[in-house]
Amino acid sequence: MSIRVQGIRKRFGEFVALDGVDLEIETGQLVALLGPSGCGKTTLLRVLAGLESPDAGRVDLHGRDATQLPVQARNVGFVFQHYALFRHMSVFDNVAFGLTVRPRRTRPARTQIRARVEELLSLVQLDWAADRLPAQLSGGQRQRVALARALAIEPAVLLLDEPFGALDTQVRQELRRWLRRLHDALHFTSVFVTHDQQEALEVADSVVVMNRGRIEQRGAPADVYDRPASPFVHRFVGTSHVLPAERTADRVRIGPIDAGLVPGPDGPLEARVRPHDLALARDGEGWPARVGAVRVLGPLVQVELTIDGVPGGPRIAELSREQYEATPWRTGDAVRLSLKRWALYDRAEAA
Amino acid sequence: MSAVASDAVAPLEPAAPGEKDAPPQAARGGPGRRRRSAAPVMLVTLALAWLGVALVLPLVAVFAQAFAKGWDAYAAALTDPMALHAIRLTLTVAAIAVPLNLVFGVVAAWCVTKYDFPGKSALITLIDLPFAVSPVISGLVYVLLFGAQGWLGPWLLDRDVQIIFAVPGIVLATVFVTFPFVARELIPLMQAQGRDEEETALSLGASGWQTFRRVTLPNIRLGLLYGVLLCNARAMGEFGAVAVVSGHIRGLTNTMPLHVEILYNEYNATAAFAVASLLAMLALVTLVARSWLEARAPELRGERAAQS
Amino acid sequence: MAALATSQVLDAPLPRRRVIPGFGLTLGYTLVYLSLIVLIPLAATFLKSAELGWDRFLEVVTSPRVVASLQLSFGASFVAALVNAAAGLLVAWVLVRHDFPGRRIVDAIVDLPFALPTAVAGIALTALYAPNGWIGAWLAPLGVQVAYTPLGVVVALVFIGLPFVVRTVQPVLENLDREVEQAAATLGAQPAQIFLRVVLPVVWPALLTGFALAFARAVGEYGSVIFIAGNMPLVSEIAPLLIVTKLEQYEYAEATAIAVVMLVISFALMLAINALQGWAQRRAGGVR
Repeated sequence: MSIRVQGIRKRFGEFVALDGVDLEIETGQLVALLGPSGCGKTTLLRVLAGLESPDAGRVDLHGRDATQLPVQARNVGFVFQHYALFRHMSVFDNVAFGLTVRPRRTRPARTQIRARVEELLSLVQLDWAADRLPAQLSGGQRQRVALARALAIEPAVLLLDEPFGALDTQVRQELRRWLRRLHDALHFTSVFVTHDQQEALEVADSVVVMNRGRIEQRGAPADVYDRPASPFVHRFVGTSHVLPAERTADRVRIGPIDAGLVPGPDGPLEARVRPHDLALARDGEGWPARVGAVRVLGPLVQVELTIDGVPGGPRIAELSREQYEATPWRTGDAVRLSLKRWALYDRAEAA
Repeated sequence: MSAVASDAVAPLEPAAPGEKDAPPQAARGGPGRRRRSAAPVMLVTLALAWLGVALVLPLVAVFAQAFAKGWDAYAAALTDPMALHAIRLTLTVAAIAVPLNLVFGVVAAWCVTKYDFPGKSALITLIDLPFAVSPVISGLVYVLLFGAQGWLGPWLLDRDVQIIFAVPGIVLATVFVTFPFVARELIPLMQAQGRDEEETALSLGASGWQTFRRVTLPNIRLGLLYGVLLCNARAMGEFGAVAVVSGHIRGLTNTMPLHVEILYNEYNATAAFAVASLLAMLALVTLVARSWLEARAPELRGERAAQS
Repeated sequence: MAALATSQVLDAPLPRRRVIPGFGLTLGYTLVYLSLIVLIPLAATFLKSAELGWDRFLEVVTSPRVVASLQLSFGASFVAALVNAAAGLLVAWVLVRHDFPGRRIVDAIVDLPFALPTAVAGIALTALYAPNGWIGAWLAPLGVQVAYTPLGVVVALVFIGLPFVVRTVQPVLENLDREVEQAAATLGAQPAQIFLRVVLPVVWPALLTGFALAFARAVGEYGSVIFIAGNMPLVSEIAPLLIVTKLEQYEYAEATAIAVVMLVISFALMLAINALQGWAQRRAGGVR
């Protein structure tokens, strides 16, 4: 167990940033903290690093209580969103910093430091830039310097705050795949914060979805996407359509669709569906609906649907190009709408 | 982690400088050229004429008067033993007052920019307080404290310690008057720089002192120099506060500005302007150095309005 | 049971720890130094004035000579700050919006009054405006006497306050979006209308701040004024000079009483300026 967090609370004035967070992260995992801004994900990361002291709770790093350990003693690599490179130092000196500030007894020899820094710089493919100042580098290059600098101290865990947030789309995509490969090659434990669900699903082994200072769900990317634990998660990790549902005597019906036996009290429920889990047919079981606009987006086709007698704006179904070409829907067509996969939530929970 | 396998990681991108996301250039264009018409020319002329009469003419007058009786009289006025003593005293006072306020400025700026605590903005206001106080009152407060009639005066007199009408009083008054200069320069600068770099250094294992010396200090170097420059100019030129505490004892407690006053009141204008010309040159050197610093670090500009 | 115990332990508030070391040390040093150099001496001044008693205090500060000196200090400062507001706006505008040879030098020289010792400014202005001086000789035939009159006080205060308005207005003008003015022009506004209705409202808070700073500085000014003022009691004697005079006559309590009046007004001005700067910054959309 690399990281274990129990009952962490932190408030800033009236604002509750962390409201009792428990989390365990195994050695070697790459974990994403995902959530909207203000959900507490960055605060949690800073608490792990020792940059923020929690009001209550406990942080264990590698089996040792680190709650009261100052940041210097935690041996965590922290990469800031805007990198926080030492602007007056060359790239080389930035990366070497963590080694050169060690007390003389444990400080590596000058030649060792040099070798280590050069090794890291070639790892991040910036060996050519050793003598440059941070201001002379591009955003993606600065990011890699920050990473090399954090890795130089051989951290027990690597913490990254919105590591790709300040980069433009293309560099961002390249860099996150590269980070994944780096992680696989070096096997360190990393936690990164992001508000971008795609980034979290693509890069991480495990995704922690946060909302209002609490953890909503923890799971593998596919789990979080396919089996969201709450309406919030359903909404946050992808497009989410809401349909009314009802339970009577343990049997759930989503409109005209029989959703089978789901034990629980009688009453209204809400069903949530992803656009690609909506199926269209000329007739048969399902919601009667009418086709609105049809948009062909490369391999994907979006079909707008207005469901008869169900309030809310048009739902959008996503079909593959093949499906669409087999049955090309036209605006104005009457269709039957059925569901391939759905998630049920209590109404109260959905509020 | 120690066995870094760089070849296990596929290349990310050609390692060439100058990518498309190159750092943005400072995107502040200079004043754009406009088409020439009568109004702008008139405005510029008016502004320059005003600055000429209001600022440049007095400066020119100092040098003109200093050399009114020729080079020999000028040199004689500056090599007069009293003048030399005043120069030495001014340098001494600045050499004590400026480092004191330098250390304070760094410590205070660190304190209010690296931590959050209740009462912080009140503290910043209190640091600025001496700017709101008339120089004369800055001297007066020490007379009331340490003078013969003051709170501590009799006690000091018994122990034969002289503060007022002596060098310590002059130093104290100068420290008071120049108190906020360095802190004022550093606070906005360090505020803008944030705490990320310090936090990074700490996470890499640096101690507090190492973080300050190796990360913070290099970042505020120019701002510090700027503050010291202004602090020094004021320390050497301060008149009102020092006049109140000095007692005008010639050859003992006369700083350069006080010496200028004495000579002037004795109708020895040439000598007065000769000494004044040295102070004017100090001012010019300060302005040149400040322009040079601003050219190197544009972020230093803009905060200076509230100074002096 | 065990779980309950754990949760109780976890809910116990943790001691607050600051990440960056040195809080106690730096705050302590700051407070001690601030108290020793500034707060205690200032407090002593207020205590000293209390020795006088309320009636005597009122008697001192309402005596004709004191009232005249305070009126002169505040009146002349007000006029000087007004002059500086107008001239400073012009200079700032020209420096930001017009390119001319030597602009950098002119920009630097604006700060001369900050850097030039006040005594030097004082004797230089006196030499210029004396009846036989370079400027005084021009004005004498017109019957205008500047040196040794209240007008001289204003001239000195204009000199020392000159940079304030320029330096507060300049950054605001630099950040002003040219396109807004161009938009006004496309809508048919004349240059004067653009200035009054588009530029001035944006610059106004900074202009007011600069005015207040120049005013506050002028009220306490001593060195540059005493040479040119003539220092006639009831006519051209400023309040700071009266404090010095009282001190030289060993009338400490009177000197302190005048000082307290000035301090109270100065602190009020300072708070007003702080509020103004906050307002100006919000109006500027938090540019800095």
